[in-house]
Amino acid sequence: MIRRGIPAVAAALALALGGCGDDGGGEPELEAGGAFIPEPVTADMAGGFLTVTNTGDADDTLVSVTSDLTGTVEFHETVDNAMHQVESLPIPAGGELSLGRGGTHLMLIDLSRKPTEGETVSLQLHFETSDPITLDVPVEAATHTGE
Amino acid sequence: MHLRKISTAAVAAATALTLAACGSENDSGDTGDDPVAEVSGAQAEDEGTVLDQPFDKPELLLTDTNGEPYDFVEETARRATLLYFGYTHCPDICPLTMSNIAVATAGLTEEQRADLRVVFVTTDPERDTPEELGSWLANHDPEFTGLTGDFETIQEAALALGVAIEPSYEDDNGDIVSTHGTQVLAFLPTDDKAHVVYTEGVTAQTFERDLPGLIAGELP
Repeated sequence: MIRRGIPAVAAALALALGGCGDDGGGEPELEAGGAFIPEPVTADMAGGFLTVTNTGDADDTLVSVTSDLTGTVEFHETVDNAMHQVESLPIPAGGELSLGRGGTHLMLIDLSRKPTEGETVSLQLHFETSDPITLDVPVEAATHTGE
Repeated sequence: MHLRKISTAAVAAATALTLAACGSENDSGDTGDDPVAEVSGAQAEDEGTVLDQPFDKPELLLTDTNGEPYDFVEETARRATLLYFGYTHCPDICPLTMSNIAVATAGLTEEQRADLRVVFVTTDPERDTPEELGSWLANHDPEFTGLTGDFETIQEAALALGVAIEPSYEDDNGDIVSTHGTQVLAFLPTDDKAHVVYTEGVTAQTFERDLPGLIAGELP
């Protein structure tokens, strides 16, 4: 629900703020927050969750994420209880990109170690337009949902 | 959890707006498909749903994490039983579900624990070998039972319980795509039927609250 909802909301917000998102000029203004990694079961993989808000007046795109924990961070959308990798994730002007449990998430693969609750993991978010954002992301309990 | 409901309403409004003003916009995420079996109606999301018509325990002959044959009906007879269908190459919902249950089982007495079966059936038998399943589950609770076997057998049992799963396949990226169930079924020890369904939004606190009663044969 959330996964489907946000783009629609974002689109509507973009609309309200001045058109259908494909406006010329202006710049994205990004802020990332609410990030967490639930303690994974093994070092094989972990999920990552965060929100990127765009208060600017141009769209941006999350194109990659790098981490001190692994060289492989993928974007996965959840569709009908199955995950599908996507290349990038849109952050519409005046909207947000929300990665939450049960929806779109980061998938960190082949970790160099199994992070445990209380640690922090460094994630660097790379965008099409904006400068990278580096986050110290807390490792939360496996049951953490961010809600 | 209320947030989720509010956002749904907002989405509906926002979608209407989008469609009205930007007819050509393609909301690529929206397939128009709602979940096949929406169990909860007025039920709060952090509660199990008690079924009017309980499910019978399905015949299910699989292999446990020691590589031994496991007869689900026989092994779980007259024991409160939680059943979930998932896979271990799953970073989000499968470990979240099992972690929620593990938080609750950690708080049980030894007697209660002995009267409970927690069974995880893989939806991805090709990748989830008994060994892999065993070590993955042991990280949650060494008492959990992991089962693997023929996918068609697993799918048939899942379907009989209202759980829709599809076989794993390789997508265009070369990734293996697997599906998991969205619900945990709770069978009572009194009649070996599934009376309660716990859907995806349920938290560890719900299992903590409900398990002692379920083990004693009581509905939440």
